[in-house]
Amino acid sequence: MYLEIKDLTVLYDRAMVLNGVSLTVGKGEFVSLVGPNGAGKTTLLRAIAGLVKWEKDTLKGTRAGRITLEGSVKFDGEEVTNLPAHEIVRRGLILCPERGRPFREMTVLDNLRAGAFGCKDKKVVKENLERVYHLFPRLKERENQISGTLSGGERFMLTIGRAMMSQPKLFMIDEPSVGLAPKVKEDLFARVKEIYEQGSTILMTEQDVSFAFDLAGRNYVISKGHLVGEGTAEDLLADESLRKTYLGL
Amino acid sequence: MVEAILINGLVLGGMYAILAVGFALVFGVAKILNMAHTAFYMVGAFLILIMTIMLGFPSLPSIVLAIAIMGITGSVIYKLFLDRVKEHPVAVMIISVGVAILFQEVLLIGFGGHFRGIDPFVRGFVEIAGIRATYQQVIAIATSLVALVAIRLLLSKTRVGNAIRAVAEDREIANVMGIDVSRMCVITMGISAVLATVAGAVVAPIFMVHPLMWMHPLTIVLAAVVLGGLGSIKGSILGAFILGFAETAVVFLVPMGAFLRGAVGLSVMVVVLLLRPEGLFGVVFEEERL
Ligand SMILES: Nc1ncnc2c1ncn2[C@@H]1O[C@H](COP(=O)(O)OP(=O)(O)OP(=O)(O)O)[C@@H](O)[C@H]1O
Ligand SMILES: [Mg+2]
Repeated sequence: MYLEIKDLTVLYDRAMVLNGVSLTVGKGEFVSLVGPNGAGKTTLLRAIAGLVKWEKDTLKGTRAGRITLEGSVKFDGEEVTNLPAHEIVRRGLILCPERGRPFREMTVLDNLRAGAFGCKDKKVVKENLERVYHLFPRLKERENQISGTLSGGERFMLTIGRAMMSQPKLFMIDEPSVGLAPKVKEDLFARVKEIYEQGSTILMTEQDVSFAFDLAGRNYVISKGHLVGEGTAEDLLADESLRKTYLGL
Repeated sequence: MVEAILINGLVLGGMYAILAVGFALVFGVAKILNMAHTAFYMVGAFLILIMTIMLGFPSLPSIVLAIAIMGITGSVIYKLFLDRVKEHPVAVMIISVGVAILFQEVLLIGFGGHFRGIDPFVRGFVEIAGIRATYQQVIAIATSLVALVAIRLLLSKTRVGNAIRAVAEDREIANVMGIDVSRMCVITMGISAVLATVAGAVVAPIFMVHPLMWMHPLTIVLAAVVLGGLGSIKGSILGAFILGFAETAVVFLVPMGAFLRGAVGLSVMVVVLLLRPEGLFGVVFEEERL
């Protein structure tokens, strides 16, 4: 398996946020992770990206630093569980955070350059930049705009674009549609599809279950830190209790 | 009189500005208040004194060498003492004050409490638009401006500068971009110590060098960044020039004003904190979480 997560457990102080989660993503697969608010979706992606470990290490000795992190994350045949977050990115595993999180006081172009930090070859950076601008012409128009002033849809484009600058092998996209108008949402999912069809591997969390199921080939359902279901959209929707309890459909 | 205030204000403001920028940069990126900042300025000035006066080296190479030594010293001190405690503001405060006092004591033991002068790097006067200034003053003002422009270019045009700004804005996301946050803090601390040494180099021949010279600029730097708004580089530059001119004006216009120098920065800091706690260009720090 390309990405293999085993028994991932995260506790913030004594609150169990992830409870022995195991999941896999195969190369070229599109996997979704759905579940209600506070289920632990974001925490799962943060843990995979190395951010929970980073948080634990930096906040060591403070109240907020009482974090327990157990389990293992393997990517592309390599154990990345104990690698620092910035090294995990270099392996091609990248997180596109919730609400985009651009560097707000920096211009669009500077954000994209930050994404290219790990790539020292100027020629490659330039090529990647052109690819991003080709996929999102809007970003080129807004190149010199301060990214704090971008619209929600544009912010999402920037996040994906910034991630593309670091030449990822696997995109982890966290709730791309949060807070977006239905029209923008549809466009956004078309873009995600486009990126996927260009040969990426994607693990995406989403609250909008129908959208997620449309796109993904396989899905996980998470609730209160436990995985409660796994399968294709048909499998999951066929399960009456799962559908009613967790998917709200 | 007005001319004297103008020239001296520019010299002083420029020096405070370079110091304040370095301090603000470290605060913005590593999120620490480095109380040892002006001690770097002092040690830098002493290194130049040792090399030029005691060892008889030429000025320019001495300055360059001092800058390099202090840049490395700043980074090493951050890495050894501050990186591991940076989430504990009180510990940072105590340790960095400790570092400053350590430098002070070492210099006191080595040099005694004397005031020492360094010969001007260039002697003579110029007259620009009827205003008389020594070459050394002109050099000081020009160097400050060049340093401020250089730091701006470094931050806006280079790959590392871009990463430093990214860390200043959002450490968590910087991580996800493959940026080693801790390393960027080390580099920033080095840059900050380099700037402090540049400040030491420009004023060493104008003011006296002595082992307590770090204290007064420290209050000014704190006042300047409070005045400008913690975390705003532009604001801290403005704050530094305002304080530089205010201090010069007090020295020239108020009888016995020289004794009031130290009070200027502190008064400004108190008044600003009471009236506008966020400063002139204040930014509210909110580090978002995923
Ligand atoms: N740093 C933290 N300290 C304490 N509790 C936390 C922390 N981070 C997350 N939690 C808790 O963990 C739980 C899961 O949070 P998480 O953000 O992973 O949920 P989510 O599934 O992404 O929800 P949403 O759909 O609302 O984004 C929540 O109850 C949250 O309050
Ligand atoms: Mg979430």
